[in-house]
Amino acid sequence: MRIPRGELRRSRVVDDAAAVLRAVLDEELTGYVVFEPQDALLLGETTSGVVTFEDGIPVLAYDTEREVGGRDGLEGFAVTGPTRAAVHAVDTAALADAHEVEAFRIPPGDPARVLAGDERLAEQTVDAAPAARRDEGRDQSAVEAFLADADAIEEIRSEAREEARARASEWGLDDVLADDARDSAAIEPGTDSR
Amino acid sequence: MVEAFAVASGKGGTGKTTSTLALGMALAEDYDVTVIDADTGMANLLFHAGLDDADVTLHDLLVDERDAAVSDAVYERFGMSVVPCGTSLAAFEAADPGRLRDVVAELAADADVLLLDSPAALGSKSAVLPVVLADRIVVVLQPTVPSLSDGLKVQEYAHSYGTDTAGVVFNRVRPDENVDKIAEQAGRYFGGQTLASVPESDAVRAARREGKPLLAHAPEDPAADAFREAAARLDVRDGDGRDVAERFKSAVVPERI
Ligand SMILES: Nc1ncnc2c1ncn2[C@@H]1O[C@H](COP(=O)(O)OP(=O)(O)OP(=O)(O)O)[C@@H](O)[C@H]1O
Ligand SMILES: [Mg+2]
Repeated sequence: MRIPRGELRRSRVVDDAAAVLRAVLDEELTGYVVFEPQDALLLGETTSGVVTFEDGIPVLAYDTEREVGGRDGLEGFAVTGPTRAAVHAVDTAALADAHEVEAFRIPPGDPARVLAGDERLAEQTVDAAPAARRDEGRDQSAVEAFLADADAIEEIRSEAREEARARASEWGLDDVLADDARDSAAIEPGTDSR
Repeated sequence: MVEAFAVASGKGGTGKTTSTLALGMALAEDYDVTVIDADTGMANLLFHAGLDDADVTLHDLLVDERDAAVSDAVYERFGMSVVPCGTSLAAFEAADPGRLRDVVAELAADADVLLLDSPAALGSKSAVLPVVLADRIVVVLQPTVPSLSDGLKVQEYAHSYGTDTAGVVFNRVRPDENVDKIAEQAGRYFGGQTLASVPESDAVRAARREGKPLLAHAPEDPAADAFREAAARLDVRDGDGRDVAERFKSAVVPERI
């Protein structure tokens, strides 16, 4: 894939890709960010990828080591831990050709979700995206894949259970918690608890 | 008999208010239905029900000094009893969420079905109260990952308070989407049943502009059919009105922000 060389704005190691994505969204960057997860480097692997942006909204992703684009490409450089992020600015017109590679395009919220696990930022990004792009995340196969991952779903649920319990005490609603929720033991998902 | 349902979603804009009024109208064919705008921080049911200029609203019932009678905030509309909520931020801040329990309990005395239009949030006591107070929740989802994920969260909150899931409504389903597979998969995690798959429809938006529930504005629309189907699938249970009142005794504790 060819992305025209841009003007380097800044390059630094960050703990969380979300910070970079948020900054890029705020400044409405048109250009690209090269991500280089640092932990992978330590392991002697080179992992790097690039996400391009139009007015702060992610357009496409490409794993430059494996040479894979799109959502799969994005997952290739989604490595937890510190990552070097090099932010480059490019003219919109210069990116137009690259942005036509349909197979490498990603829904606007995906980088925040995949690289940073930040659902809220993903949502804010989608909200800020032009109408034509807002529906791109509505990919039925993505929904099916999400629902097929029982472990990930159980994690969402148990996190929510814990949060619910913690907040109940905060709000003085402890005594209306269902008995099994009051116990610290894990609750069977989906049980009829009344 | 009364059963209280919270119509909830976690994510904003999935169609809770639309669904609350549509289910309410459909259920009103067979039951005495009272619909309450329990989204006290971002009330908008009044706009959907042509009650923009309602004098007394739920807010008035939740403020201590005001001695409005509950019945003053009840409006007979479209075959249902509708309790709108005002939109003033000042009134919301003055409102004591704990009083919602008493209001709901009083309304429960005269109804078969209570529908609580619930907020798209879980971050405050007033936001979770509808789910705490209800017997069961109806989860309104869009067939997207964020919506499903937030729906799961609401359900966990509800279950923590002993509130079960009556079922799931998939809303705003596009013509090219087939939710059967998604509904089947989601059924493994959500309680109750898939109540309906409601298509994306211009009639829904037009109804909102008219200030009428969908079933009043466009009863023949496929979306209206889907909501009637959902209502028919809801097996309303005989509850005891006092249950609602006895639940969550600690709600009198004022909320600290
Ligand atoms: N099936 C549908 N087809 C088309 N538009 C719809 C449909 N359902 C809801 N809408 C529209 O989506 C918007 C949000 O709907 P609604 O107000 O019912 O959602 P909500 O979940 O109550 O939102 P909030 O979280 O803000 O309270 C409205 O403009 C409504 O007209
Ligand atoms: Mg609403």
